[in-house]
Amino acid sequence: MSEIVKSVPRGANKGLAGCHVCEKVAPISVGNCPRCGSHLHLRKRDSISRTLALVIAAAAMYVPANVLPIMSIRELGVLTESTIIEGLVQFWSAGSYPIALVIFIASILIPILKITSLLWLCGAAKGVVPHSAKALGKVYWVTELLGRWSMVDIFVVAILVTMVQLGTYMTITPGPGALAFAGVVILTMFAAMSFDPKLLWDQLEREAAEDRKISKSE
Amino acid sequence: MRKRLSILSWPKPKGGPHYAICHFCDTVHLADPIPEGSRVNCVCCGATLYQNRPASLVRVTSFSVTALLLMVVVHTTPFITMDAGSLRTTLTLPGAARALISEGTPLVGWGVAIFTILTPLVMAGGLVYVCGPLLFGRSAPGAKFVTCWMSRTEPWNMIEVFLLGVLVSLLKLGKVAELHFGIGFWAFTCLMLCMAAAVAAIDKRELWDRLEVAGTK
Repeated sequence: MSEIVKSVPRGANKGLAGCHVCEKVAPISVGNCPRCGSHLHLRKRDSISRTLALVIAAAAMYVPANVLPIMSIRELGVLTESTIIEGLVQFWSAGSYPIALVIFIASILIPILKITSLLWLCGAAKGVVPHSAKALGKVYWVTELLGRWSMVDIFVVAILVTMVQLGTYMTITPGPGALAFAGVVILTMFAAMSFDPKLLWDQLEREAAEDRKISKSE
Repeated sequence: MRKRLSILSWPKPKGGPHYAICHFCDTVHLADPIPEGSRVNCVCCGATLYQNRPASLVRVTSFSVTALLLMVVVHTTPFITMDAGSLRTTLTLPGAARALISEGTPLVGWGVAIFTILTPLVMAGGLVYVCGPLLFGRSAPGAKFVTCWMSRTEPWNMIEVFLLGVLVSLLKLGKVAELHFGIGFWAFTCLMLCMAAAVAAIDKRELWDRLEVAGTK
């Protein structure tokens, strides 16, 4: 919590903004980036409220994504519907542990970790939960990096639906869970993009300023 | 050859001093030129600020041209062929998207098409369009616009995820039917490696500095 803020020049204090598109540094008063023309901003706009809104939407969609079947298999006239967790259990009981582990990490662990870590990041930037800006910066980096890999289950459904069209013997069709799960992945990716890790350091600076005020008044 | 490479090293735009701001902690740094093959980390949080990739333009152009050629192969040859009794089905990238669209989940189908076909095409095509002319010190018309869109589409490029999906489905199907790897599968694996190499070959900052220098000539 009481991480020492190094006395380094920070862009916001100097009125300098780094362009998010082309990385050019320009005074914020210019308005638009002199190099690529995109809008300049010190912090992403409404970062925390946007991130929270998207994370809540993703968490809401996470329920149908796991409850509804992502695909239905019709084998010799018998229809079985399979959710993400059932698919995972199938691999595990068939003895394909590495694949079961990959599916578990990509489809269950990463979405949950993403949703909780983004909530934690928003809380930390507001000063609600204790944090170390440096460590959470790394958490944010990993969150952004890993997000895409959850999509693997959707691709598996796409491939199975394409290939398993064997007439009466066996056909696979996509289920409504696939749409919900794709929604979770896309929403969490947008949520991670709209979060601004600089806010973590802003909060740290505010805390340090408050500490100084308290020690002065004592 | 040595002389030519030195001409191609990272130029600095006019004016200055040039600054770099850390994306994570907002610390302002002086953006000094660095030798090829080295990187600069933020003094405050340790994140990478920028790096000077060796022979960046040559590598990015050649890898993305290769990626474009491989895309033609990927889309025209079968990925995987499955034989189950007398029935035979083949997997292609557009086929996978089309199957989802026609089987009642069009949104997911379009998503798959965007993430595995459109974004790699925008990335590879954009890199060739922007970096090819830059090799000769020119900037193509609309190069800045294209580069803006490339950085927007980059996070949505999911070909390596699709490849993992192929491997998972193979293990699922291997017990049901006989599978044959087509040329498309190997081309797709190479495409994934080429795209990764092309994107990693040039730092965003260097690309934009080069565009700025070429544009003001």
